[in-house]
Amino acid sequence: MGGGRAINSKERNGMILKRATKVLLTSLMVCLFALPASAHFQMLYTPESALNKGGNLDFKLVFTHPFEAGHTMTMGQPESLYVVHKGNKTDLIKEINPIIWTSLTNSGKAYNLKYRLKGMGDYVFCFVPSPYFEAQEDAYIQQMTKVIVNVAGIPTDWDSEMGLPAEIVPLDKPYALWTGNVFRGIVKSEGKSVPYAEIEVEYLNHEPIMNENKFAKEAHVEAPQDAFVTMTIKADEKGCFTFGIPRSGWWGFAALGVGPKTTYQDKELSQDAIIWVQARDMK
Amino acid sequence: MKRKLVLGVLLAVSVFVLGSVAFAHTPLCYCYLNGDGTITCEGGFSDGSSASGVEMAVKDTNDKVLVEGKMDELSEFTFEKPEVPFIVIFNAGPGHVVEIKGEDIKE
Repeated sequence: MGGGRAINSKERNGMILKRATKVLLTSLMVCLFALPASAHFQMLYTPESALNKGGNLDFKLVFTHPFEAGHTMTMGQPESLYVVHKGNKTDLIKEINPIIWTSLTNSGKAYNLKYRLKGMGDYVFCFVPSPYFEAQEDAYIQQMTKVIVNVAGIPTDWDSEMGLPAEIVPLDKPYALWTGNVFRGIVKSEGKSVPYAEIEVEYLNHEPIMNENKFAKEAHVEAPQDAFVTMTIKADEKGCFTFGIPRSGWWGFAALGVGPKTTYQDKELSQDAIIWVQARDMK
Repeated sequence: MKRKLVLGVLLAVSVFVLGSVAFAHTPLCYCYLNGDGTITCEGGFSDGSSASGVEMAVKDTNDKVLVEGKMDELSEFTFEKPEVPFIVIFNAGPGHVVEIKGEDIKE
């Protein structure tokens, strides 16, 4: 047996345990570090934001990870939902109905909204969900979400401030963007701009299938690395940000933790401001 | 003589500049059925400015005027739907006319 030392069973067991612990720790670390790659986004999705005429619109209110069509969170009873058109506010909270939305990995409670648009101009839809408890972060998330739909090209309300506690005010029409345009916005907290706000940007990479309440399996693009799944950008000293849009489709912008409330039910709360924009190819 | 020429050029330039300031944007008009036998047309410009006061006309296919009026203070114009084929004309001046065929007005 050469000069090798004999290993007794007690030593051997100890080595196995050590190795197993190491493997376990490593996988736990991978798990922890892999999590933040994809971000939570409140969706207020409708297929078309620039319409030639009015008519019935279908919205899906889903709290999910849009780039990967990943884990869809179960939503609580929303706090408020309304639309502003030519300065007039219409409450829509009673118009929503619960649905089950299916992601590529699970299903979660979501809502739909049917709304009839009449007349030209901008319709600014504002949605405030109830705070969602994210157990992994031991904190609540509340994403105040804006989507702007336009009928027949006339601008009326798109650049108005809606007065949400956390809000992104657009500087470019979110419904009139060509692929390659930039989208600019100002991050606001109770009407005051938020210097150097951190903004997560994510592409809606899986087509929502409206009549089946699920995401399409096929992805539009593949990210070369995790930093491209949720892109993190910063606002400047005036709270303004600019993002060049590389591809047609819907893009979500989430300014994190900019709202005034920081606690909810004795836990940390992040009030985020979300806006969705839609770009089209020149063809 | 020279002075007159300069004045003329200045006048032409100012007319051009002022004219293009007023309408350096696209006129837009959109009509819909109200469900009670009337039609409402809304107008405006691509920069968001009001179309209040813009001349509106509804004509039949022989160019006969059926209804005439102006956009109100909300840039709206409502009229009874004619029983014959018609066209709506939003007339904000030369180069700024929008025509909408009656058959294209739905919902």
